[in-house]
Amino acid sequence: MTSPTPTVVNEYEADVVVTAVTRPAEDVVEVTMAHPDGLALPGWTPGAHIDLVLDHDTVRQYSLCGSPADPSALKVAVLLAPDTRGGSKRVHELTPGATVRIRGPRNHFPLVSAPRYLFVAGGIGITPLLPMIEEADAAGADWHLHYGGRTRSSMAYLDRLEQYGDRVTVVPQDEAGLLDLATILGSPDDRTLVYCCGPEPLLQAVEERCASWPSGALHLERFSPKAVEREGADTAFELVLQRSGITTTVPEDKSVLQAMRDAGVSVLASCMEGTCGTCETEVVEGEIDHRDSVLDPDEQESGEVMMVCVSRCRGARLVLDA
Amino acid sequence: MRISTVPTSPADTTAQPRRRCVDVPHNAWYAAATSDEVGRAPLSRRMLGNRVVVYRTVAGDAVALEDRCAHRPVPLSSGRLEGDDIVAGYTGFRYAPDGRCVAVPTQANVPIGARVRAFPVHDDGSFVWVWTGDPNLARLRPPPQAPWLQDPEWVTFGDSWVTQAPLRLLLDNFSDITHVAHVRPEVAPPALVAGPMPPLEVTVSETGMSFARQYPPVPVPAWQAPMLGVPADEAYPQREEGEFLSPGLWVDRWHADTPEGRASFVFTHALTPVDETSTRHVWRVSRNFADSSAATGTLTPLMDGYYRAVREALEDMQRIVSEDGPRADVLVAADAAAVQVRRIMDRLVADETGTR
Repeated sequence: MTSPTPTVVNEYEADVVVTAVTRPAEDVVEVTMAHPDGLALPGWTPGAHIDLVLDHDTVRQYSLCGSPADPSALKVAVLLAPDTRGGSKRVHELTPGATVRIRGPRNHFPLVSAPRYLFVAGGIGITPLLPMIEEADAAGADWHLHYGGRTRSSMAYLDRLEQYGDRVTVVPQDEAGLLDLATILGSPDDRTLVYCCGPEPLLQAVEERCASWPSGALHLERFSPKAVEREGADTAFELVLQRSGITTTVPEDKSVLQAMRDAGVSVLASCMEGTCGTCETEVVEGEIDHRDSVLDPDEQESGEVMMVCVSRCRGARLVLDA
Repeated sequence: MRISTVPTSPADTTAQPRRRCVDVPHNAWYAAATSDEVGRAPLSRRMLGNRVVVYRTVAGDAVALEDRCAHRPVPLSSGRLEGDDIVAGYTGFRYAPDGRCVAVPTQANVPIGARVRAFPVHDDGSFVWVWTGDPNLARLRPPPQAPWLQDPEWVTFGDSWVTQAPLRLLLDNFSDITHVAHVRPEVAPPALVAGPMPPLEVTVSETGMSFARQYPPVPVPAWQAPMLGVPADEAYPQREEGEFLSPGLWVDRWHADTPEGRASFVFTHALTPVDETSTRHVWRVSRNFADSSAATGTLTPLMDGYYRAVREALEDMQRIVSEDGPRADVLVAADAAAVQVRRIMDRLVADETGTR
């Protein structure tokens, strides 16, 4: 086999400087970052997230919650979650002047143009929705935000949302119980898109409620992998990388991503668990066993793309545009 | 009997024209003209299927309006400026910089609601950027920047024309300039033909892409050596870079690291879709060495010849596509940059048209 034309694809990565740290709610820090030389940072659109590379083993995804209008700063807001993998604690220790490595931005939760939007936020899930709301409001869309949280003092950015008046419904659980999804999502409408971000139980409940909505209406973002049902043991299959002109095999104990890299083909990847969407690859041919948490059921059904870090092939042969 | 000419409801004189150029984002800044082209005479331009007239107010601020009078379909640009306003030729209707009709010749009152579309404008001193998409979103997307064009450290020359090929073909072209060796061998740096291609390093973000190739020491082009004051047969490390800054702005760089320091070219391309099959291409070649008119005299015909050859090749491609229909390209690994740009463009279009 001749070696492929060496091509390396990486995401934008840079060491940036923390310029401000604020506390928009209990246990939440907002970190503002800028390029150390004052240069513009990469552009992004509402719904985008970045990786914070806290150290080699600690890479975390956080939604951008500032404004794309300001190319000089990136902002994330992070909830301290002591019982998880420790990334949030590291972010809470950042102070102005600290250097932190970022990767991205990327966006698998883009705001698609529509006349009406329903935004549903749970807790810190408000972050990607803030720039979306700024944009939807600027575009003159008819929109409403239903924002649930534990208590008022735990809910970030209530002050920033005040300007929007009765387009925003704030539902602190200790005052008003849970978001009334039966009413909020009770009238499916083909001119409305639903955007939801929050904890897994909220995402699941919204997914269930939206089953009767037109397909493609619901957009949601997960930062932890959705439970995926496995059907039997993983099997080996042939992998054809069309553009590179390479045919190889994916053994039962290796991912498609690993097999691509072993064949010398550069593939972007970040989370390695099917949540960040970085390794999305176009499928030319083959029956995909989707195991990611990024694609919605329609996108999975269409079989046009797959997340090669976790998803596999059901058949004997998979052809990718790579 | 008096017949009222005032419509009963406000006239919808800014109706959106049918959507054109469906495969490029409209919510983006594109150069309507270079800043020095825009002055106190109306300049007519077509962008993304829109007729646009650009001019400057008395104070020097750039204005971009739809180039079509609300009364009769005549171009405003056929008229004249009066103070900050533009008066359409033929009809004599007068429009303010915000697009409002402020005077009509035949009556004292202005028809209610009569106006033309006013486009968001940003003049950065090099280009007059115009936003023909949703005007409310313009402030949320900063215009791309090319500050070296204003920097005295850089010597710049260039030209502009309309290429009869769509923006997407121009972007594909800039994403892979290995064609230089075939299109214009006398311009091609020896690095491109000297040996095996070094790895193509592609860097992507949500809306941007850049690439680089670091070449091992090779001689600089024979035409460049005297400008750098180096022997033509001496080998120096060289670096090629390309960057998709936005759908309307592409930048390439070529660096040669000689004992004197880094000598760089920056090639700036402002790309503006005119319609589905043609693109305005403003190109600028900037350098941080050989600040002499003799060097500019040597470089101008070389670069002009190369970009004309590229234009010809792209126009041939478009002719074949128009005559025989499109086909999927066979892509190779060296297309990694083009693939990323196509993805970004597809996504931007899908998000703004609601088809994702």
